[in-house]
Amino acid sequence: MSNLHNPASPFVPFSPNPAIQSGVASPTTPLSISQKTPQLGSSNLRYASSRKSIYDRHLNRTQRSELSKASFAFLFGEMIQYAQKQVSGIQDLEKKLNIQGYSIGQRLLELLLHREGRSAKRETRVLGILQFVAQTVYRHLFGKPADGLEKSRDNEDEYMLIDNDPAVNSYISVPREMSQLNCAAFVAGIIEAVLDGSLFPSRVTAHSVPTEQYPMKTVFLIKFDESVLERESVMPNN
Amino acid sequence: MVILSILILNKAGGLIYQRDFNEGLKKLSSNDYLVLAGTFHGVHAITSRISPVPGSGGLEVLESDQFRMQCFQTLTGTKFLVFAEPHQPNIDVVCRRVYELYADYVMKNPFYQIEMPIRCESFDRHLMAYIKPKQ
Amino acid sequence: MTFYFAIIGTKDNPIYETEFGTSKQGGDGHARFPDEQRPMNQFILHSALDIVEEVQWVQKELYLKTVDRFNNLLVSCFLTAGNIKFLLLHDSKAEDPIRQFFADVHEAYVKTLMNPFYEVDMRITSTVFDSKVRAAAKKYL
Repeated sequence: MSNLHNPASPFVPFSPNPAIQSGVASPTTPLSISQKTPQLGSSNLRYASSRKSIYDRHLNRTQRSELSKASFAFLFGEMIQYAQKQVSGIQDLEKKLNIQGYSIGQRLLELLLHREGRSAKRETRVLGILQFVAQTVYRHLFGKPADGLEKSRDNEDEYMLIDNDPAVNSYISVPREMSQLNCAAFVAGIIEAVLDGSLFPSRVTAHSVPTEQYPMKTVFLIKFDESVLERESVMPNN
Repeated sequence: MVILSILILNKAGGLIYQRDFNEGLKKLSSNDYLVLAGTFHGVHAITSRISPVPGSGGLEVLESDQFRMQCFQTLTGTKFLVFAEPHQPNIDVVCRRVYELYADYVMKNPFYQIEMPIRCESFDRHLMAYIKPKQ
Repeated sequence: MTFYFAIIGTKDNPIYETEFGTSKQGGDGHARFPDEQRPMNQFILHSALDIVEEVQWVQKELYLKTVDRFNNLLVSCFLTAGNIKFLLLHDSKAEDPIRQFFADVHEAYVKTLMNPFYEVDMRITSTVFDSKVRAAAKKYL
């Protein structure tokens, strides 16, 4: 047991189980806060008025439920304004939005595969993970698959995911002096997190490519890390 | 139905949007548009006060030989003025639809500063798409 | 039967660990590792990570089954979509109960991740999570 406290050990003891931490061989059931009588200010854990924690919520219950687009638009608008207060330039702003999306992507990836249950498969190939993003992730987020997925003709490591009318940009008009900005950088962050999480490290950026028919058309440029292509080239049955 | 022009006034009577939809309208200078908006704002305020019926919302329709003007005021005091050809029915429907587009593409745009002139590309686009087929 | 269970983050950093015994066949659910074995457990799991990194590109399932063995001890692995590794050290083969155990832990992990104050690779210190893992162990192992 003493080794757990040895600083040389790569594993630092932190288990919430007191049996491992204290060195007492008899494991006692860990103190569950919910079993304790609630005392004001006695615990640093806060509980909702329903006395239920996030662990009591069902993960699949909201699977098919839909959100109001208006409330999302207002929330997203506030997120942009909040980010705008802390940045100096457009690139900086896009990065902030990317980061905001990133933490959503990390969670979404895990949740989507969890919902697939026993048939869940991790993606090991570049095309597989891109399809996963264009189909599964996109369908979950926006209720429709992405409008296109193309490989860059110039660069081996670049792919383009196309959205003719990104839902996040529906109500947004970017002022002329910021014409470089595309707020779908937020979605780019989500995509980047899903790719990174699945061990396809990449850089994803959003670019406006307006056309006559689709004035809001956005292309997500996915640039994979070198290591991804290297690994892909040695994968079997290629 | 022919829509000639649409104006949007903020609650202080300032002109925040003006757009013509028909050729051949007399063009005013931008200053004159501001004066027009301010004057209308004042007239509207007076009409709501001198109304014999208590709780009147003020001037709603103004009709002349050349045009019909419909005013729609929101609960927050923003006014939508729609100029159309005379004897056009259902202009109030147009007003409400413009209000809806305003709520969507102006108020939900994080880059729009409230009470300021409207420069929103997607508002222009959707307004055009709504009015054009009517002409 | 005694088990040692650890969750390893994306940077090979441990984010949770616990040990427990079987609750089947009259077991009391207490871990019975000799004192000198305890630090070894961590080494065994740590060395299994290399094998997991190979297997994960061949096998697409989340549950990779038994990936490594050390003397009479077996290491089973469950790899989540976000590359978080659940490693269980056990001394006898029990594929299905372990799968069910991992499934329950996975659910608890995803719920942990839904907490906006929790970030990927952070230690899991929630006592509720701990009791969920123990409940799953008691139920299946």
